[in-house]
Amino acid sequence: MHAPMMPRSPISRQPLTPRQHFNQTAGFIFPPNRSCPSTPRPLTPKMMQLRFGANSPRPSPFYSPSTNLVQPFSYTGPVTQLHPQHKRLLSQKRRLFQRKSEAWDPYCNLMTAKEKEWITRLQMIQLQSENPYLEDYYYQEYYRRLEAKMAEEELGIRSKKEPPKLTTPYITKTDVYAPVVHIEGSLGQVAVSTCYSPRRAISAVHAVQSHRLEEQKDTRQQRLEILSKIEKLFIALLEVEETERMKTTVLSEAEERRLVEKAQRKVEHIYSQLQLHNSPDSGAEFLPFLSVSKGKTLLARLLPFLKKDSALKILQIIASNLPTLMSRDTEEALPVLYPSLQKVIGGLTFSQLIDVLKDLTSSESLSTYECLPLACQNKFGLTLLYALLSHGEKLLSSGVPLEPSIGDFETWTDVIFQVAGQLSQCSLVEPLLLPSNLLTLFCRYLDKRTVHQLKSNLESATGCLALPS
Amino acid sequence: MNYVPGTASLIDDIDKKHLVLLRDGRTLIGYLRSIDQFANLVFHQTVERIHVGKKFGDIPRGIFIVRGENVVLLGEMDVDKPCDTILQQVSIEEILEEQRLQQQAKQETEKVKMQVLKDRGLSIPKADNLDEY
Repeated sequence: MHAPMMPRSPISRQPLTPRQHFNQTAGFIFPPNRSCPSTPRPLTPKMMQLRFGANSPRPSPFYSPSTNLVQPFSYTGPVTQLHPQHKRLLSQKRRLFQRKSEAWDPYCNLMTAKEKEWITRLQMIQLQSENPYLEDYYYQEYYRRLEAKMAEEELGIRSKKEPPKLTTPYITKTDVYAPVVHIEGSLGQVAVSTCYSPRRAISAVHAVQSHRLEEQKDTRQQRLEILSKIEKLFIALLEVEETERMKTTVLSEAEERRLVEKAQRKVEHIYSQLQLHNSPDSGAEFLPFLSVSKGKTLLARLLPFLKKDSALKILQIIASNLPTLMSRDTEEALPVLYPSLQKVIGGLTFSQLIDVLKDLTSSESLSTYECLPLACQNKFGLTLLYALLSHGEKLLSSGVPLEPSIGDFETWTDVIFQVAGQLSQCSLVEPLLLPSNLLTLFCRYLDKRTVHQLKSNLESATGCLALPS
Repeated sequence: MNYVPGTASLIDDIDKKHLVLLRDGRTLIGYLRSIDQFANLVFHQTVERIHVGKKFGDIPRGIFIVRGENVVLLGEMDVDKPCDTILQQVSIEEILEEQRLQQQAKQETEKVKMQVLKDRGLSIPKADNLDEY
């Protein structure tokens, strides 16, 4: 039954003779009497040659024992283990080869069989996959066709009995290991190459964030969240602005209406997104966004599109949280809000103005005596204050019926006096804009001396003349 | 005697004489004694062979450990086949001298070329001998 396959190494029923091993180029012949216990069919010489010769295809460890004709390289268990058959053969080979080699090469076998096995095992691990038909298509297909051909040729009758092939994954490639190691205190990550991934790419973003203080992590996370939110809202805002620009082009009435509606919806969306961050009416709705300079820019550009009461709300929030905003404004980005806010102020009624002034002078837990000096020391704060006062003056002198609420005028005069006192005492920063009717305002309420003092103070701050009454 | 038939494995090449060409252009010949999963190689009784024209010279180097990524190609050498049919082996001093002369000539031509290019307003950056990623 076992005709000689190769001219140099005939198959025999005995275990492999030493002669067979001396041939470095000959493939390893699987002795027929040591066929795999689970093999349903006996191995034919031709099949064995193809399997194990020098030209044999790569072994497939994925066929289950019952279906595979030959599987000397099947691994079972979580750790790659060589098939017992394979083990036996290796030890045999080792023994015989050693005997021969030592005769002429005293330095041989520096690399022990164990080490060789280890490397082989590593290589086999890298070959394994859960879906070999996908990842190793050509090999699988080749092997399958070969076997089919063999089966057909030699065991034509039995071909119908061939059971369906199963591919069982042996080892699920574990993803639990840490491919990158973050050394504490270092800026980056170190890639650890393993046999699963010899060259692992390091992601640019910190995937692992352990050993960090909870607060630090939170604020950092929050900041990132806010920034990403701002990005998204900015895109929406840009679309709104685009719509605004398109209005100048010739559009049909229906189209224009649609566009306007769409833009309005977007504006409302942005507004609600900015507000939703905290509980409504808490007084701190827009603060997280306002604390970031990009958020300030966003709001500044959003304000012109907002309805009056929404814009007023934002102005109120800013006024009441001015100390916080000023302290957090490390990049001095607050002035970017000024132009839009000025327009909003310009549309306020007297009562609304008084409310805003109240917010500004008694924000949070600070008293007026603390708020105002702070505001005076800050460019934005001071300018805002000036703008409010200027608008009040404008309203008062315009002759338009003011419809004030109860106590408005008192608050107004109080504020004037307080502000005047502050302005004359402390050193002022240069405001973004100095309204021309300020002194007129002060003249109305204060005595000449105070006014004079104020004037000189204002002028020294700005370096230009405050217009006389 | 492939432990893992069908795959490319250096296991079968252990203890055999090999010739390896490195990325820096060196040619080493030695007995491959040990490998690892990255194809780092341990060579024994290594000889660096320098070729200049039809002449070559061998410089004995002892034990070499080559990092796997620096290997361009690696092949087993037939111990029985004669190697000096066309090539002529010379002494180390001679081959080094020949190499020096070759390098010098190369540099001269390179210099002339660069000058000519410069005169025409072109500057072609010279690729280094080593790979650049």
